[in-house]
Amino acid sequence: MATVIPAHAAERLKGLRSSAHSTGVFTSDFSVNEFLLVRKAGFEPIGLCVGTCVYHVGIQYGSWSKNQELDVLSKAMYHARELAMSRMRAEATAMQADGIVGVKLTIKRLEWDAQLLEFIAIGTGVVHGDGHKGFRAHDGGPFTSDLSGQDFWSLLHSGYRPVEMVMGSCVYHVAHRGMLSGLGTIGRNVELENFTSAMYEAREIAIERMQYEAANAKAEGVVGVEIHEGSHGWQTHVIEFFAIGTAVLPLEQEIAPEKIEDPIMVLSVND
Amino acid sequence: MGLFDFLKGPSPEDLARRAEHNARIADIQRCLQSGDVPASIKTRLEGARNGTLPWLATLTPAELSIVRSHGLRPIATVSATCWLHYGWSWTQGHAQGWELALRRLRDEAWAAGANAVLDVKMRTIPLGGENSMDFTLIGTAVSVEGLPPSNDPIVATVPALEFVKLLEADVVPTGIAIGAHYEWLADYSRSARMTWRGNIESQTLSELWEVVRQRAHQNLRSHARTQGNGVLAHLNFSQMFESEQNKVPQYLARHIVVATTVDAKRGTTLPHHIKIMVDIHAGSTPLTGTKRHHQSYTSNEAEGAI
Repeated sequence: MATVIPAHAAERLKGLRSSAHSTGVFTSDFSVNEFLLVRKAGFEPIGLCVGTCVYHVGIQYGSWSKNQELDVLSKAMYHARELAMSRMRAEATAMQADGIVGVKLTIKRLEWDAQLLEFIAIGTGVVHGDGHKGFRAHDGGPFTSDLSGQDFWSLLHSGYRPVEMVMGSCVYHVAHRGMLSGLGTIGRNVELENFTSAMYEAREIAIERMQYEAANAKAEGVVGVEIHEGSHGWQTHVIEFFAIGTAVLPLEQEIAPEKIEDPIMVLSVND
Repeated sequence: MGLFDFLKGPSPEDLARRAEHNARIADIQRCLQSGDVPASIKTRLEGARNGTLPWLATLTPAELSIVRSHGLRPIATVSATCWLHYGWSWTQGHAQGWELALRRLRDEAWAAGANAVLDVKMRTIPLGGENSMDFTLIGTAVSVEGLPPSNDPIVATVPALEFVKLLEADVVPTGIAIGAHYEWLADYSRSARMTWRGNIESQTLSELWEVVRQRAHQNLRSHARTQGNGVLAHLNFSQMFESEQNKVPQYLARHIVVATTVDAKRGTTLPHHIKIMVDIHAGSTPLTGTKRHHQSYTSNEAEGAI
């Protein structure tokens, strides 16, 4: 038996315009699956939210033979992202969104000036279909999350809700090795402990900062943690460790009254 | 920051930060030598372990839901690095580097009170250091409800979904095994220079490869034995070079195999029925296996999920 097409869809197929969005259209960058799953989760997209920031990143040189955080650059990278994110969030607040899903955070270099970086944050603002305000972040504003629509649905169905995208940045100068220190290592495989410890410190600082943000957002945990290593046109041996993830809180009883079922495991027989 | 800021002395804030950095680096270096987990990392891991700090997980929400339904609890992101200089052997250096990083990762997992580390990725940061390479492992430490913390946490290079799949089938991914071997061949008879000889096997080089590959796989087997009773998902990397010394052609062949070790009871099969269904995931489905779990080797050979 063929599945019955819902009445609204059938009318549209017959050529009748919908009156469902009489106040206007919604915009989003959702794929089909994302759209269906965000709505299944009880949310409706209302509009794309964008925040950009063109930032002039100052200059800071590390001493040639020293491991050190380049705090001027760390602050710049963090501050610029923060500005882009907060502008995006302000747009979402203006359209009374309860949250933003699928946030993409990108950095572009502007051709004519190596020190100018463009930071872009873009995501889809959503509202809860029944007007439930319990999904908002701890400060009453919209939640932010870099999770896709599918991930958003899955998160709610694992008993959590997103609170805030959290991040930590550390731009670090890794010391160069002296000429003499190289001589002692001929003929042996040795660990370069100053390189190793530089990686440890830089990564730790980035993770700690992200975790600190999560703690400030009163989150229980952070999902989808990624640690990126990047160099945005700086001298060699300068590297940014950037930790990012979505801070989450357990769903309270009144927000999701339905019982969460255990997921079904699937083994694909495709190659 | 103003243009003439360098004329001013360092602010008390700067001095405090420098002191903190110096103390932290000194501690990290001491711990690298003594084989302990550095103090600042330990504090973070213990905070996540007893709930005073948020837990951190590289898992996606779908993975979070599946690990929770199987009684696993994420604790913290753990990582380990060993930056090794190849003064003696590039090939053996890869085995040494990964092994040391693996040991450090286990130590962090132990400090986090974990039973396992999932979703372990092999990373190399391209800083272009000559004759040296960074061996980094990053993963998510988890504990299993009802089990005491392990004093030898397992390390699984598979993502959480696959980890749980394997657990349901009574298979435990336990670690990473490395097999590396290289050999030099001095070709005095110049038998590998075959310019005018038409279609013919280069027996000299075939034999060299045969030996190198077999020895690498033997090493893989003996390294795997310390961690489990089998391996899955090989990554193969091999290179051959030619050079000339005193008019004698020299060949260097090297081969590295890296694989996920498992502990699997023989004869156990998957307890599930097979059912046909449609997958709602965007893009390529995560059900068909895993993404590349390393970016340390650019290889022209087919590879598995490690």
